[in-house]
Amino acid sequence: MSAESDTEPGDVATPSGDAASENGPPIPDPESVDDEGYVIGSGRSGIVRRIDHDDFDPVGTLVLIAIYMAIVSAMWIFMYFVEFLGGDLTVIG
Amino acid sequence: MEIHRYEKIWLAGALLLIVGFIATVSYGAVGAGIEMINDEGGQVDSAALDEHPKFSEPGTYKTGPNEYDVYVIAKQFLYEPGTSEPIRVPANSRVTFHVTSADVIHGYEIVGTNANTMAVPGQVSTMTVEFNEPRKYGLLCNEYCGSAHHAMEGSIQVVPQSEWNETMVVN
Repeated sequence: MSAESDTEPGDVATPSGDAASENGPPIPDPESVDDEGYVIGSGRSGIVRRIDHDDFDPVGTLVLIAIYMAIVSAMWIFMYFVEFLGGDLTVIG
Repeated sequence: MEIHRYEKIWLAGALLLIVGFIATVSYGAVGAGIEMINDEGGQVDSAALDEHPKFSEPGTYKTGPNEYDVYVIAKQFLYEPGTSEPIRVPANSRVTFHVTSADVIHGYEIVGTNANTMAVPGQVSTMTVEFNEPRKYGLLCNEYCGSAHHAMEGSIQVVPQSEWNETMVVN
């Protein structure tokens, strides 16, 4: 846990005491995998890179949501104004 | 609390959608004049429909210039009138359907249109629609009403104004 508090934004943190993981994904600690299998919450918590709140830039998600919004809006306009209001024999009283 | 700028965008988009949905439905009610079918039709004794002034002889009644009332009884498994002979209304007319049921709950749907109501025993459902072009519409029951529900259907014949005569008023 000491790695978290010591790391500043932009830093690349090194999981403590494990030099082999500097150039790749962290290597699982053999001691955390025992005969009883994986224990929830026992995974490594070493931070590899810390970024600011607004540096997180999920532009793909933004595009995906924009596409969903466009589809929902177009379908709503089609369903309500074309199919429903344009339909025959609308109840008017 | 700090909200990510993308999250602000899609929160605003979602709010805009909700406002848009409510606005279009409000427009439908106020601008386009879409009405909901309610309980204004009143109640009848479903066991004594033959004593009712109109349901005792269901059919088309003229109520004004180009305005007609159509009384329809739905029962297992037919519409009276509608099934054995079509409901007849003139073209370019404003027609109010008064629909009730003599037994169980039925549906009364003019196929492929927005005109659709339930036929509830003891309750009269009224809906007003405008018929323009002469053509034939199908009628069907869309509430499961028994073993021959699938066969419960009828028709509405919109007769050209020139061919319309008073003998068609009450079927």
